[in-house]
Amino acid sequence: MASRKAELAMPKPDMTPMIDCVFQLMIFFMLTLKFVQAEGNFDINMPIGQSQGTADPLAQDLKVRMIADANGNLVSLQMGSRKLGNDERAFVQLNGEILRAIGGTPGGPASKDTEVEIDADYNLHYSYVISAISACTGRFDERTKNVVRYIEKIKFAPPRRPGN
Amino acid sequence: MAMDAPEVDMTPMIDCVFQLITFFMLVINFESTQADERVKLPESEIAKPPKVKREDEVTINVGFIRNADGSKRVKDPLVFLPGEDVSISQMTPRIKKDLQMYKLQHPGDGIKTTIKLRSDSEVPIGAIQDLIKLYQEEGYEKFALQAMEEAPKE
Repeated sequence: MASRKAELAMPKPDMTPMIDCVFQLMIFFMLTLKFVQAEGNFDINMPIGQSQGTADPLAQDLKVRMIADANGNLVSLQMGSRKLGNDERAFVQLNGEILRAIGGTPGGPASKDTEVEIDADYNLHYSYVISAISACTGRFDERTKNVVRYIEKIKFAPPRRPGN
Repeated sequence: MAMDAPEVDMTPMIDCVFQLITFFMLVINFESTQADERVKLPESEIAKPPKVKREDEVTINVGFIRNADGSKRVKDPLVFLPGEDVSISQMTPRIKKDLQMYKLQHPGDGIKTTIKLRSDSEVPIGAIQDLIKLYQEEGYEKFALQAMEEAPKE
């Protein structure tokens, strides 16, 4: 009689269903988890009136020409008539040229008024254009861990179709 | 005298499992990123996500269908839409349809939508410009070129 009383007083919960549910939940979360690398973007404003290649009369234009080979690789990067090369150093030089063009003062009036026109061969890979846009947009300041912006306005020249 | 089966103390295991569940619940992101895994974005040190979330944006993924060895199955890039892949030249009716929907939802408003272009590194820039032109012709003005945020070089 005494042992029956003790059994009634301490009912043992069956943990199995709860553990089952918890494991199901854990498996669900583990399977749906996806680590996404951060993405950034470069804004480009292109109203129809100011279509690709149409000049803004108030803006001072800088022209960046990008020549590609048949495989879409960069052969030559030029700013104005100046050839900068075709490797990573060319983009570093472009960055320096842009800084010079805005008078060495990022964020100043020249920075706001200057517009860069990217004139790339039709088959040039997108990655090279992103590198050029990055070089024109600014640089990453190691000290402040912020982006120093050189140019805010970037546009494209009309596409150069093969054979044109 | 029968010996009782030894009872296993489940408490530490349940503690650990709950900790794990809490972790996964916190790090999981149910928000649809609209990103297509077939698109390998180029990297840029200064590409940063916008500080203020855009009012309205449409993500367009452009890339190639590749074989297991990474070679391109078709030469021309495709636009990866939910459920199907179409060529850039086939995009006009879809852009018009999206615009109709937008105008129904925002009557009297101008187009405030930003077209977020996620393009594979090897897509020809001319194809991207063609796509931008199709959107421009329908009145879209704001475009954003996506890049993967690259860790700053030491």
